Amino acid sequence: MKPGFLAGEVGNGLRRNTAMVISVVLVTMVSLFFLGMGLLAQRQVDTLQGYWYDKVQVSIFLCTEDTAEVASCAGGGVTEAQREQLASDLDGLRPLVQEYWYESNEEAYQRFREQFRNSPVLDNVPREAIPESYRVQLSDPTKYEVVASAFQGAPGVESVEDQREVVDKLFTFLNAVSLAAVALAGAMVICAVLLISTTIRLTAWSRRRETTIMRMVGASAFTIHLPFIVETLLATVVGAALSVGLLWAMVHYGIAGFLTELLAGQGGMIGLIGTSDLWLVAPFLVGGAVLLAIVTSWLALIRHVRV
Amino acid sequence: MIAFENVTMRYAKGDPLALQEVDVEIGRGEFVFVVGASGSGKSTLMRLIILEHEATEGRVLVAGHDLSRLPARRIPALRRQIGIVFQDFRLLSGKTVYQNVAYVLQVLGKRRHTIKQLVPETLELVGLQDKAKRLPHELSGGEQQRVAIARAMVNKPPILLADEPTGNLDPTTSTEIVAILERINRTGTTVVMATHDTSIVNTFRKRVVQLRDGRIVRDQAGGEYEAIEVEGVAAR
Repeated sequence: MKPGFLAGEVGNGLRRNTAMVISVVLVTMVSLFFLGMGLLAQRQVDTLQGYWYDKVQVSIFLCTEDTAEVASCAGGGVTEAQREQLASDLDGLRPLVQEYWYESNEEAYQRFREQFRNSPVLDNVPREAIPESYRVQLSDPTKYEVVASAFQGAPGVESVEDQREVVDKLFTFLNAVSLAAVALAGAMVICAVLLISTTIRLTAWSRRRETTIMRMVGASAFTIHLPFIVETLLATVVGAALSVGLLWAMVHYGIAGFLTELLAGQGGMIGLIGTSDLWLVAPFLVGGAVLLAIVTSWLALIRHVRV
Repeated sequence: MIAFENVTMRYAKGDPLALQEVDVEIGRGEFVFVVGASGSGKSTLMRLIILEHEATEGRVLVAGHDLSRLPARRIPALRRQIGIVFQDFRLLSGKTVYQNVAYVLQVLGKRRHTIKQLVPETLELVGLQDKAKRLPHELSGGEQQRVAIARAMVNKPPILLADEPTGNLDPTTSTEIVAILERINRTGTTVVMATHDTSIVNTFRKRVVQLRDGRIVRDQAGGEYEAIEVEGVAAR
């Protein structure tokens, strides 16, 4: 079948079933929008968790030039001797301290840049303001207090944090959003599958004379099925494109725009997802739509179009 | 060209036999009328040739293919060897005469210049070269059937099946249609026409294969339709 002829057949099919095609576009759009939202919420969780989240329970941030107001940092930045003392103190707490890592200012700054890549605060934070730290893994995470009390206020230590306590609540919320969105997406995908199947059935009926002729003159099953599949693909890809457009608007104006300004205004420092995260998710959405269209229409064709 | 070897056909369990132990051979370039009352098995015979259905028992051979062993992916190739004409024409109402005929070649992926050459040639064969731009509803029944014949023949198949092609036409037009089929037959195409049009069979005096209740009851060269009543089963 020549491309020009195929285009003509597809055009005829789309004209005959405009209403059904529009509904396939819309249902695909809504289902992929929810799916995209679920995936983006997961990316938001990943962004917030940062590099150390899964590895350590306690972070001991060391003094910088900017933290002189903290009593234990009165002497300015942490000194080499203080750093070594802290390391030997950590060794003294074994086996409660299972393992610890030293993160230099340079490494910390690189990770900070990655985590806050979509945030305007990035430009306002000088490299020196990012503290070096010891990241500590405990053999028993519930004994956080033991480590906290041992190091809080020690010379050269700005603060000891159990970051999880704060962010875990947010994660629970985001995970719930993600789960709800994916569940809705699942229901909508079922709608999409049923609608595509019904559309193909109707199209097959309105095109039954053409398909009979095709069959009789010896067209292959592929040739007979191709116009149906191309029509479905077009409708779902348009739906996917629209959903990506909606997600882009949500991320660009809603998160990167509104939410970031809101948080910055309140002095909050949270690494947020941006449109770059959407471009990582979008190929999966479009790919999913293509796969959905091909598999669903193929199955519907086997059922409704005799070859 | 076409051979039925002891073919029995039953559409579904419990149904009566549509064909019973049918043995018939149709050679290359023959013209055969398949006659019989409604329900006698004429259409079933046609359907088995294009492999719309598979015979329950026995073998059907068409253009060198044993249809009982033909894999599904080879069925299109078989059908490209066969042109089919139906009683109800089955033209595409939104397409012109030319487009209806060209459709077959487009579906089969033929080149544009091949289509430009073959379609007018075929329309000339059926005498419709002047009506290429007409839509089906602007044509008489006879003309519509000629378009259907052109469509069946445009890919130059060696076999032409016609299932009651004159069933919807008046006697004069019917004769014209069969005359076209005869002309096509003279170019070497094997023509099998199912009919219960007495005068057509009597006028053209071709080989007659008569079916009754799914059995061949007569196979006669240059036969008449009336022979059914006179000779009955004994004629075979």
